Parts: sequence; C-alpha cells; structure tokens
Amino acid sequence: MKRISYILLGLIGLMGCKGTVGDAIQETVLPQIYPDYLGVTIPVNIAPLCFSMADEDALRIDAVVTDSHGHRLHSQGRESVNFNLHDWHTLLSQNRGDSLSVTVSAKYADGWHTYRPFPLYVSPDSIDPWLCYRLIEPGYEVWSKMGIYERNLSSFDEHPLIENTQFEGCVNCHSFNRGNPADMSLHIRGPHGATLLRHAGGSLIAFDTKTDQTLGFCVYPYWHPSGRYIAYSTNATSQLFHSADASRIEVFDTASDLQVYDVERNELLLSPLVKQDSVYETFPVFSPDGCSLYFCAARALPEGSHQLDAIHYDLCRIGFDPATGTFGSCIDTLVHASSQQQSVSFPRPSYDGRFLCYTLSDYGQFSIWHHEADLYLLDLSTGESRPMTEANSDDTESFHNWSANSRWLVFSSRRDDGLFTRPYFCHIDAKGEVSKAFMLPQRNPRRFYRNRFLSFNVPEFIIGPTRFNGHKASRIINDDSRKDFGVRKESSF
Amino acid sequence: MSSAGHSKFLRPLCTLLFGVAVLLFFGLAYPHHLHYQEQYQLFLFDRAYVWEIVRLPGGVADLLGRFCTQFFLFAWVGALIIGALLSAVQLLTLQLVCWGRLYGLSFVPSLLLWLFLLDENALLGGIWAVLLTLLASWGFSRLPNGWLRRILLLCAIPVLYWMVGPVCVLFFLLQAPRPKRATWWYYGVFVLLAAMLVILSYCLPVPAERLWLGIHYHRYPTVVPVLLWVAALSVFVLTLTARACHRWVCAPCHFIVTPLSFLLVAIGMGCLVWNTSNFKAEKVMRFDFMARHQQWNRILATIKAEKPKNQIGVTVQNLALAKRGLLADHLFDYHQNGIAGLLPDVERDATSPLPTAEAFYQLGMISVAQRTVFEAQEAILDFQKSARCYKRLAQTNLILGSYEVARKYLKALQKTHFYRDWANETLPLLGNEEAIAQHPEYGHLRKWGYDEDFYFSDHVTPEMLESLYFNHPDNSLAYEYLRAYYLLTGDRERYARLLLHTSMTR
Repeated sequence: MKRISYILLGLIGLMGCKGTVGDAIQETVLPQIYPDYLGVTIPVNIAPLCFSMADEDALRIDAVVTDSHGHRLHSQGRESVNFNLHDWHTLLSQNRGDSLSVTVSAKYADGWHTYRPFPLYVSPDSIDPWLCYRLIEPGYEVWSKMGIYERNLSSFDEHPLIENTQFEGCVNCHSFNRGNPADMSLHIRGPHGATLLRHAGGSLIAFDTKTDQTLGFCVYPYWHPSGRYIAYSTNATSQLFHSADASRIEVFDTASDLQVYDVERNELLLSPLVKQDSVYETFPVFSPDGCSLYFCAARALPEGSHQLDAIHYDLCRIGFDPATGTFGSCIDTLVHASSQQQSVSFPRPSYDGRFLCYTLSDYGQFSIWHHEADLYLLDLSTGESRPMTEANSDDTESFHNWSANSRWLVFSSRRDDGLFTRPYFCHIDAKGEVSKAFMLPQRNPRRFYRNRFLSFNVPEFIIGPTRFNGHKASRIINDDSRKDFGVRKESSF
Repeated sequence: MSSAGHSKFLRPLCTLLFGVAVLLFFGLAYPHHLHYQEQYQLFLFDRAYVWEIVRLPGGVADLLGRFCTQFFLFAWVGALIIGALLSAVQLLTLQLVCWGRLYGLSFVPSLLLWLFLLDENALLGGIWAVLLTLLASWGFSRLPNGWLRRILLLCAIPVLYWMVGPVCVLFFLLQAPRPKRATWWYYGVFVLLAAMLVILSYCLPVPAERLWLGIHYHRYPTVVPVLLWVAALSVFVLTLTARACHRWVCAPCHFIVTPLSFLLVAIGMGCLVWNTSNFKAEKVMRFDFMARHQQWNRILATIKAEKPKNQIGVTVQNLALAKRGLLADHLFDYHQNGIAGLLPDVERDATSPLPTAEAFYQLGMISVAQRTVFEAQEAILDFQKSARCYKRLAQTNLILGSYEVARKYLKALQKTHFYRDWANETLPLLGNEEAIAQHPEYGHLRKWGYDEDFYFSDHVTPEMLESLYFNHPDNSLAYEYLRAYYLLTGDRERYARLLLHTSMTR
C-alpha cells in the first residue's frame, strides 16, 4: 500500500513537472524562438521543426500546432519542444499546400506566457529526402577530424560516408549528378590524394587528376546532365589572414583554368578560351540542357600582387557540344559584376533552366569568408538579377544548391554566430518568389548547434542515400594506386 | 615472526614504497609532462562527449584515462593518480599466481607502464586498459571452473574488448586452461574474438590495424604503443614463468628474499626509468607552462640559473624579459635564435606555436594569436580539443568582438570541472563594452589591437610590430620587441628612428 502511494505521488510529481499553460499571461507579440521558424515555408516531407525560446531564461517551452481541419500537435519540454516524428509527418501531409498555426508558450520565473500564434506554410513541393555535406572546423590551414556525412531530411538521422579517421588526409568536393548519387565525385587531399569517381552506380575508382598540361589537381566538380562529363577547375590557391577585419581569412587563386573530363574516354578536354593566363576561370557548371558551361572569370592580378580586393569575378558562359566534347568559340558575360566592383561565385542553375543562383561579394571567389556575401537570383529568361532578400541575412550566405525539382535551395549561412556555417533552406516558386529561409531542423537545435564546433560545408541535395562504402573507399585511398587522367587537346590549342 | 608473517607486512610496504616513488618522480621530476598531457584534452561532463568516446572499442578505459588526465592540471594530483594506478596494477599482478621468491617480478608490469608514461604522448587510457583487464582476470580467477565460467568467459571477451580495447587479449591469455584439460572451448573463444574484430573492421570508422593494436592508447594514431603491449604481455609471461617454476618459487624461504627481490627489480627498473626519462623535454615543457600561466618572474629566475637554447625556451625567455621591460637592454645576455627567437614562424604542430601565440596575445596581435592557437589545436594528432586553447579562443573572440563565437567556447568550458568558474566569470563580459574596456587584461589588449587591416601569414614582419607601437606608444611590449627586432637584424637606421620617435613622444 505504502509503495503504491509512493508511485502515485511520483506520478503526480511528474505531471506537475510538465505544467499547464491554461493560466498563462497572454502576450500580443510573436515569440522569439531559436531557430527562427516564424512564417517559414516548409516542404511536406521535412523533419519536425523543433525549437527553443531564443533567450535562455525560459524554464519550459510549450507549442501547439493546429490546422484548419481541427488537427492538433502538442509538445512541451524544458529546453526545446520535440514533436513526435510520425504525428508531425501526418499533420504535414494533411496540410500540403495549406498553412499551420503554431502557438508558443514559455514558462519564466513569473509564470507562463502565451505568445501570438505564427504560421508555417506547407509547400506542396517536396524536398529531396537527403542532404550530403562535409563537417569541418572553420579553420585556417590545418585540419582536425572531418568527414562527409549524409542526413535524412525527413528525420534527424545523420551518418558518415567517410571520415579522415580512416586515412591520413582531408576529404572534400563531394558532388553528385543532379543529386543522384549513382554519379559521384569525391576529392581526397594529403599524402593519399585522389579523386574518387563513381559512374552510373559502378564501382569507385581512384584517379590522379593532375596532368602535365593542367595547373594541378581538378577541383570544384560539376556533372554534365548526361553523366558523361564532369566540369572541373584547376586552381593555384593561396591563403592570407586579416589582422583587423571581421573576415578572418582570404582564400584566393593566383591562377586557375577550366577543363571538362570525359568519363567514358578518360580524357580531359581543354580549350584555350577557358585556359587563359590573364584570366582566372573557376566554378564551372553545366547548363541544364548540357549545351553550355557557366563559370566565373576575373582578370588576373599582376604576379606577386596581393591587392586581393581588386579581383572581381564576372559570370560567364561558353558553349559546349556534348556530342563531340568541344567547347564553343566565344564567351558571353551574363553578369558583369566587376563593373560594379563586385564579384560572383558559385553559380548554380536550377535544373528546370529558369534561374541561376549565385553568390555576390565585394571581391574574390571564396565568399564563405566574406560577411557581406549574399545570394542573388538570375532569371535566365530575362537576364535580370535580384538579391534574394527574403533568404539573405546580415551575415554570410555562400555555397548553395538546388533540389532535383528546382523548387528548394539549400545554402550555407553564417548568420547564427558569424563563424560556424549552417545549412538553410528556402522555397523558390516558378515565378522566382523566394520564401524566408529556415535552418536545418534538429531534435534540440540549441544544444545541437551549440555543441557542434563544426561547419556544414558544401551542402548538396541527394535524391536517395549514397550507399557509399566508406571502408572500401578508405582501402582504395590507402592503397595509393591511381588511374591517371588522359588529355585531349582541342585542335586549335 | 614467521617468514609468511614478515611477507604479509613487507609486501604492502613495498607497494607503498613503489607508489611513493612514482608520486615523487612525477611530482618532482616530471610535473610538466603532466601539464602537457592536460593541455591536449578537453574533458566535458556531457552526455554527447562521453558517448563519442565509449562508442569505440577501448572507450571505457579511454574515458577513465581522460577523466583522470583533467586532474593533471595540478601535477601532484596527477602524480598521485599515476602512483595509485601503477600500484593497483602491481597488486592485481600479485594476486594472479604465487610469486614467492620471485616477488619482485610482480612489479615489472607496473614499471614497464611507468616507462610507457615517460612518453608525453602515451595516454592514461592505456594504463586503465591494463588495470581493468587485470581486474577482470582477478575476478574470473575467483570463479569456480565449469560451464558457468566458460559461458561468462564467452560473454566477457566482447564486453571487455569494448571496454578496454585489444589489450584485453591479456585476459584471454590469463584464462588459458591447464594442459591436459579440454581446450576446444578456449580456442573457440579465440576464434570468436578474431571474427568479432574482422566484422568490426567493416563497421567502425577506424583502420582495421587500430582495432587490433589499440585505437587510443597513444596520441599518435600511427604509433604502436610497444611498451604498453610489452607491459601487458609481461604479466602473462611472468605468471607463466612463476607457474612453471611453482615448486621452487613457492618453497619456504627466508623473509629477506621478499624485500631483496623487490630491491633488485626496483633498482634495475628504476635506473631504466631514470635513464629513459626525457628531462630535456621536461625543461621545454616547463617554459611553456610558465608562459601559459604568465609566471614572468619565475621565468626570469629560471633563465638566470640556466639559459635556454631551444626555440620554445628562447621565445618564452624573451617574452618574460619584454614583460619586465628588460628585453632590449639584456637581449644579448642570453642565447638568441635570431629573429626566430622573438616571434618564430608558425609551425604546423600542436606544441611549438603555443608559446609564440602567448607572445602574440600579450603584444595585442589578437587575430594572429587566434589563428596560431586555432591551428595548434587543429594539429592535435588524436583530434582531441584543448581546454587551454578553448580558453584562449574565448578570450581572443571576446577581445575581437565576436561575442557569439566566444559564447560557444565559454559554454563548452562551463561543462568542464576546472575551467567552469572562469567561464562563468567571463560570460557576463560578452557584449558589455564598458566592462571589457575596464578589464585589466582585455581592455588594453583591445585598445592595442591593429587599427588598419592588412594581410599576414606565417611570418611576422617588423611592419607588424611598428604598426602596433606607432599607433599605440603605450604598448611597451611592442616597443621592447621592436627594439629587439632591430638589434637582432642590425637595422641601425630604424633603431635610431625608433629611439628618436620615443624620445619625442614620451
């Protein structure tokens, strides 16, 4: 009897801990929550948007999500709300193309406060189910533990493809063909340097991409829609550091060229037009029809000059014939940023061919270290660019990528604390209307992002899990045997 | 008193003597090796941190090692911990067989572990791995023979492997059945262990050889901790020897044999320990320690007694001289490594940049210090983080006004035991410009910072020092360094110009 009494008392105590918000003070303002999910547009298949109060004085937080059909989802927690995964997805699927209302209450020392409800818009456009990124400390030149990871966007599951605990070196430049991991490229730096390629779901092959006719190793890969070609740049990259500037690091090229790799023939295709000594060419990407190559180009600095703020990249385009693997004969400038003393980096066309998103900064090409860097959207049908104000912040927005259906954009932003890069998502409709961006959901976002001293680097959508065998890959990397890239020169070269 | 009675009394005394010897060695002769160990880890009282460690084979031993290493901030506490651990290893070794006349040999594994710990990159997790294995072996030796024991052995092998890593093979060896008994089950366990490792090599993000040799017994991932393995396997070899000579070993003998065998081993191994000790490294570490704790007067007293010649020693010596306004006037009273002795180029390792970073920080070159400390931390070979570096990065970010980044470091330090109070005191400064301006350290360092941005790399130029001093003539440290720089490079013209400028402004 005594034991039963204790159990009952314990249960009552536990219920008391949960607390009710019935007698809360009604606030007329919107809640300040972390991450800021107020009024965002979300894909129907996204993981629950759990959040905390932005300030750390709240003792508990309570949220009720309701829809116009009378459905209701409730969560309460000490640090963060944590919606049930299944219930969340059910609610979202019931409200595809509709909106939800979120009522947040927070308990402070003086009791509960209930805030004005805010909406969430559930887009009928789904998002690619997986995201691939590199996790690395936002450092200077030396690296510690890092790896390439994939994350299920419908849940919170994250697991590594490969980590540098498996070999000595650094891993970067993961790339997929329109998010399809059957075509995959991965770059390894260090004593076991290699480019790992997987074509049409085949086995991984390690390549030595350095040739005697190119500047160095191939970097910044972008797959041709056919899967036959990969556009690369070769960059002689250096770093310098700021002594008294909010930006810590300046990464710059002292030379760079473009080339296209023919996967089937194992040949690098070169063209004198994109291999000029007086021009830095970088960040090549194929147009969705595969008949053009977009890239960034800047007039080269005189040798030895460190006037880095004089390097301004324009957005350019050159034709490419996938049937013959030949480049066009002229270069068009699509965005003449240098005339405005600005610089374009990371051009990424939407796969439906409507838009091209790029990063604009004051100078240079490594915009992740530029706090002023913002995203811009180029309408390829009109040739007009506009800043993506709805998604941009006061801090850095940089690398970005489109979802396979060209309706979602993932991008890196440093708006959270000015240093650690986080992935954000925004919706872009057929007219180019951009929604407010939201941060990659986590079960307890504040704890998660505060404890993780790593940047999310090069976020890439993938349409399914990569099924990448990290152990096999590490054996290939450690084996040190490499297949060489061949070179085919254009006749006019 | 009988021989057995004497042994009962003498044996704990020998263990105690051994423990005290270890304590005195690490407390008096090797304290800075312990400080060195402490500065290359960040032990967090945090679930996620603990999980990251224990999810790998050897994780429990590793966790216990890291837990103990945080106390190395205080060398005597660290020495006491090591003394206790090595004594425990000896006591457990003693329990395995009848040592009798060979009593002294029961100290050999502990002495070998002591030798292992002379390497500043040998990790305490290795000692815990041996200790836990011996503890498990001792527990098993008390179980009666039979099916229950065999089943428990079958279960214990994978559990122990996960707890302590491959050193658990010692447990397996110590369970070897006596000859003429059924051994099929024993070899079955061996096959099971091998199969488990092969399977694990396909599942865990570590190279297969590290699953066999140990993931985190040593800071260098590619180094095989030979001494640790020798120490672990010596237990098996010595017990086998004692068993083989059981009749002679355990025959009654004079009570003096016990202390005599102890003395023989202690003197022999003690000499080996002393000769293997790296006192040169200890001296270098002492300079780094003194710089870290800003013990400028102690550094001056130290360099009076013995002038350092190595790069770290000279860097710290010059920093202390400059802090006391003595650098330029007494520059050539001490050994100099040219301008590399003032502010050496930043190397890509975890040790040498830290004293240089201290000089950058004291001079007000906060961005340079920040980069140097960050890189040093990234260069820690076992991918651990450093409480010392976190603290400094919190300070540099605070001074540079990156408050949210500073908050991140401070929040992490709040999860430590020894840095929590400092983090709690520093957090209220974030965003409080007035409090920072009035702060005795951060106030003037912020003021002395560079006004104009320029690019820097690994090499400090005189222009960087000139900019510091000419914009803030009250930065006496920059003045000392600039004078020393001109003296070392023989730049008379600039030296004269500096003196003229100083006489006009002061």
